[in-house]
Amino acid sequence: MNLQQAFDALRQQEAASAPRFDRMWRARAPRSLTPRLAFAAMLLITVAVLVFQPKKPQPSITAWKAPTDFLLQTPGRELLTSVPDLKGSRQ
Amino acid sequence: MEIEREIEELHAASFGWAMSCCGRNRQDAEEVLQDVYVKIFEGKARFDGRSTLKTWLFSVIRRTAASQTRQRMLHDVLTAKWARRELDPVSPTSDAAAQHAQTSEALIAALQQLARRQREVLELVFYHDMTVEEAAAAMGVSLGSARVHYDRGKKQLLARLNGKLSL
Repeated sequence: MNLQQAFDALRQQEAASAPRFDRMWRARAPRSLTPRLAFAAMLLITVAVLVFQPKKPQPSITAWKAPTDFLLQTPGRELLTSVPDLKGSRQ
Repeated sequence: MEIEREIEELHAASFGWAMSCCGRNRQDAEEVLQDVYVKIFEGKARFDGRSTLKTWLFSVIRRTAASQTRQRMLHDVLTAKWARRELDPVSPTSDAAAQHAQTSEALIAALQQLARRQREVLELVFYHDMTVEEAAAAMGVSLGSARVHYDRGKKQLLARLNGKLSL
């Protein structure tokens, strides 16, 4: 058996088991609603979240504190902010 | 309807091509072919006469199968389904049929090991009696590219089948 004959045998087998044409031609593909409904629901939730998002009150400019303020709190910082007692250290 | 009659004449060949495009999974092939027919019936796919009807129909089947494969892979990833897709078993009814079935199984197994383009061009030429030029049109590749895939694929297929089909 050569390559062409092998392909012919395969073609005959599959042609014999092919489904009927009229059944497939007239039938409408059953399209599942689930993915469409899931997409619509996701879209609705996204829009709802965007529209009804609670607005945070704007903080006053005087109450504002830099979020990196803590970086300025270095160890031994109090030595730089107080005056040393020179009189006491002499005795 | 003239086109309906012509498509009906090509139905068995179309099913064979759909089987090829779906890794010989019968259920997937039927779904793809039905989807293709619905596209044609609803006018979403129109034959413009630039090629033969068979070439055009086969390219629609090929694109639809590729699209469904992508959707299926995405669905499997989303639903974490990694079920193995198995080939439909061939059920022989006589000795001759059993021998043919054995030959076909060996051929299918060898074809599955080829690169996709090589497999496609060989099936279009040997299974569907197309010329390499027609196969190139159905595959959407250049004639030169199709010839390279054909030559390499044929050599590899023969090497894999050597001894199994008494070639």
